[in-house]
Amino acid sequence: MKKLLYKEMKLTAHPLSYFFILFALMAMIPGYPIAVGGYFVCLGLFYTYQQARECDDITYTVMLPVRKRDAVKAKYVFAIFIECVAFLLSLILTMVRMNALGGAVVYASNPMMNANAAYLGYLLMIYGLFHLIFIRGFFRTAYKYGKPFVVFTIAGFVLIGIGEVLHHIPGLTGLNDPAMVNAPQLVILVLGLLFYVGGTAVAYAASVKDFERIDL
Amino acid sequence: MGYVLEVDGITKKYPAFELKPISFHMEAGEVMGFIGRNGAGKTTTLKSILNLVHPEAGSVRVLGMEYLEHEDEVKQQIGYAVGGISYYKNKKIKDIIAITKTFYENWDEQEYRHFLAAFKLDEEKRLKELSEGMKVKFYLTIALSHHAKLLILDEPTSGLDPVSRDEMNEIFRKLAEKGVAILFSTHITSDLEKCADTITYIKNGELVKTAPMSDFITSYAAEMGGEPSLEDIMVYIEKEEVNL
Repeated sequence: MKKLLYKEMKLTAHPLSYFFILFALMAMIPGYPIAVGGYFVCLGLFYTYQQARECDDITYTVMLPVRKRDAVKAKYVFAIFIECVAFLLSLILTMVRMNALGGAVVYASNPMMNANAAYLGYLLMIYGLFHLIFIRGFFRTAYKYGKPFVVFTIAGFVLIGIGEVLHHIPGLTGLNDPAMVNAPQLVILVLGLLFYVGGTAVAYAASVKDFERIDL
Repeated sequence: MGYVLEVDGITKKYPAFELKPISFHMEAGEVMGFIGRNGAGKTTTLKSILNLVHPEAGSVRVLGMEYLEHEDEVKQQIGYAVGGISYYKNKKIKDIIAITKTFYENWDEQEYRHFLAAFKLDEEKRLKELSEGMKVKFYLTIALSHHAKLLILDEPTSGLDPVSRDEMNEIFRKLAEKGVAILFSTHITSDLEKCADTITYIKNGELVKTAPMSDFITSYAAEMGGEPSLEDIMVYIEKEEVNL
């Protein structure tokens, strides 16, 4: 797995996949749907798929002394790596916001999503959707990436919209607490974590099954 | 001694094309020319052998190992090259090699340096800067640096000038003398006359004949008369009336 990740990083990855990790900094913007930062991290990964198709990376990987399914594993491992780095950055910024800046007026009166535990849960859901819709969709053919990305974009923005609406519903306003972690936030975080882990497992198994069947 | 490659009844069905059961085998040091017209099923067969195309039936054994059951082990022993494709064209040779070699247990840096020099490959060059002939040499360098015992080459001489093709044929002969088995597809019959030991002929997805070169020619000489060349035989097999 280490070798596959290294290969993805050195040969396949588009520089924007790394650069777009910085969109995690959106966590600090007040009055902005900050979960969009998670979408941009996935957009950065999308560029790697464009590059992979252009340089026939899949065939090259399959011809290395690995199993055919390892070409799928390489793509998931790289996506998870980028997402983990972005999530770690988001987590640090969220902790800074909640602990040091929780009382700031711009965050306390923020009508849009605040960076808190629920926000982190939404990020995990977006990453899970990326695996379930985009990567899984890509491995149905191993070359068509346009339609899966459009579908992922729609699903991702619907999710972000739901996240922005939920905290305006009476009784759920705690979801947007800028300084305190509460039960509703933790529910979203746990749901996000379960969705990310479960969704990735389902997406990976389905991708392997589809990829074994297709002709390169 | 066992076979290096055993292909047993592989088939593949597309809406407009069918690969009928293909079976043949190869020994160490054998150069097999896999010949047929464009669209006859050569690439489909080679890709089916390599599991790049998913065959409907049949099996492939390499050095006694079932390909699908020992895919990663088998690939340690084989090299694959295809004409007209360049992976990671914007990367330098040395960067691609730095990653590729980590996957091979038997990577031999000394052999790698030897073939770089022998093929006059410059590590600092990007793949897009290589001619078609140099690209094939680059893939061969990778294969030979991990001591591949079987090379599967899809139209490696297509797109090469006559001098480069002649050089490539000489390389194949020298590798065969070292015990490397080479299966290469082509529709350029003159290449085969220079370097192939056996001929496997495919027509419209169907295996016509697989035999040592001399037997192959003799069997058609009886039907055609005289001393036909491979090109004469190919034209004889494929000749169709042209209706305009």
